[in-house]
Amino acid sequence: MTLTPFDWLIIVIYLIGCLIAGLWMRKFVSGVEDFAVAGREMDVNLGIASLAATELGLVTIMYTAQLGYEKGFAGAMIGVIMGAVIWMIGRTGFVIGPLRTAGVMTIPELFHKRFGARVRWLAALFVVVGGLLNMGIFLRLGGEFLVYATGMPPGWLEWIMTGLLGLVLVYTAFGGMLSVLVTDYLQFLIMGVGIVVTSVLVIIHVGWFNLIDGLNTAWKIGGGAGSTTAGLAAHPFNPFHSSSYGWGYLGWQVFFQIAAATTWQTQISRVLAAKDAATAKSMYRKTSFYYVGRFLLPGLWGAAAFVWFAQHGGLPKELNSLTAMPHYLSIVLPAGVIGLVVAAMLAAEMSTDSGYMLTWATVIYNDLITPCLRTPLAPKRQLLLTRGIVLAIAVFLLFYGLWYQVPGNIWDYLAVTGNIYLASVFTLLVAGLYWPRATAFGAGAALVLGAIGPITFLVLGKTYAIAPEVAGASSFALAALGMIGGSLLTRAPKSTLESESRSPISIR
Amino acid sequence: MKDPLVLFWALLILASIFWYGFLVFYVGIKAGREISVLTKKLGGRKDG
Repeated sequence: MTLTPFDWLIIVIYLIGCLIAGLWMRKFVSGVEDFAVAGREMDVNLGIASLAATELGLVTIMYTAQLGYEKGFAGAMIGVIMGAVIWMIGRTGFVIGPLRTAGVMTIPELFHKRFGARVRWLAALFVVVGGLLNMGIFLRLGGEFLVYATGMPPGWLEWIMTGLLGLVLVYTAFGGMLSVLVTDYLQFLIMGVGIVVTSVLVIIHVGWFNLIDGLNTAWKIGGGAGSTTAGLAAHPFNPFHSSSYGWGYLGWQVFFQIAAATTWQTQISRVLAAKDAATAKSMYRKTSFYYVGRFLLPGLWGAAAFVWFAQHGGLPKELNSLTAMPHYLSIVLPAGVIGLVVAAMLAAEMSTDSGYMLTWATVIYNDLITPCLRTPLAPKRQLLLTRGIVLAIAVFLLFYGLWYQVPGNIWDYLAVTGNIYLASVFTLLVAGLYWPRATAFGAGAALVLGAIGPITFLVLGKTYAIAPEVAGASSFALAALGMIGGSLLTRAPKSTLESESRSPISIR
Repeated sequence: MKDPLVLFWALLILASIFWYGFLVFYVGIKAGREISVLTKKLGGRKDG
């Protein structure tokens, strides 16, 4: 399938609309607070659109479809857990309520109030390294989707990626969170339409009962053995089956998702931009079911791709479990519709890139650079510096995305790189907000010990076959041990804001 | 479709498609209004 002039027209209109809307918001930015957290004026529905658009990237669609291709519908169980966890956090306000009430711009800034400047700086370093490594693979995967879905020459991938990133960079660097919110809104709308249309067309094309029969047949052929082009190694409907995720992994995922939903800075930046804690909680509750579809609908496309290729001579040699879905969509989607779907996928990529670039730039400016400055910068220079950091992140993404090849499953890579800071920062957040006895020494010990698990997994995981849930759970256990042991071994703080009063660095 | 697990996933897929469609209309209208309120507030603050 190649794009018709009508398809191109849809894509060009969408891209121009995004650029105009993003640049239009530039005039409302008068300081870093507007740039980073939209002046804390975001209301609940705009928060839902922005959170949903940012957390559903093209990389998300690629890895959730890969899970659907390899594990059938059972692959979407992680989305069900994620939705339930986010609803519970929105209901109780666990972590996000007090975090918004604290009035900080980033998570490490809260640690400064609670544990002092050194812990803030170290935590920010972990957040930035984990976040940038995690985001580093987004562009290439987005480019691969476009190559396989539209049939464009693979040589175009780098140029398309560069152009797309340049477009996002222009409006993100000028308008910050205000531009991100407005473009997220447009991207949320077109993504929603594209995902619904694609899901309906996929079900019509493959046939619902044929899909179920195909998955059952593949399980009978491949059950207990390795995956083949016709057989499935994992039970396609039962995620608790030992051939699929199994109880141990899913139990670990419940804990992992609680940490991710309360600690992942791109998600938390929407909490911190909300008008108040009640708005943030409502935003979480109303977005929760979106996370189920985020795994299940692309997972449906992946499962349908598996069945279709299994019934039509097997998967072509040049494709794999990651690229099968976009190639299958190029067969399913008619002219005119593919333009809409490509625009929707570009929207998914752009909204995620802009939100992530802005978030990591804010942490670098607010928590790594500002604490090292002897005299505060003038507001105009603060803005200039933050915009410069957004540009530097874009350059890093371009080069890292071009040369780095992900070994194995994308979901595992994202979970492990995210875990570099999830375990330690989650421990600091919970202890800082709910345990008055926590000390700066305990926080430092938790940060260092929490990173040991995922780094060991990255270095030795292939050699000694360490299960990801073992590496992940051990990092949380070590971080908790560091926090509790380190705090009990040192003197109790006089008050939770003790460090703030003796620190020379001002906190907004 | 006799398998309760298949029925569970079928209902979840159906609910997801409807939820995504509903959110596009509901959030689309509401968030559009919130953007105009936000820009008025920020614009007024700058003028003031």
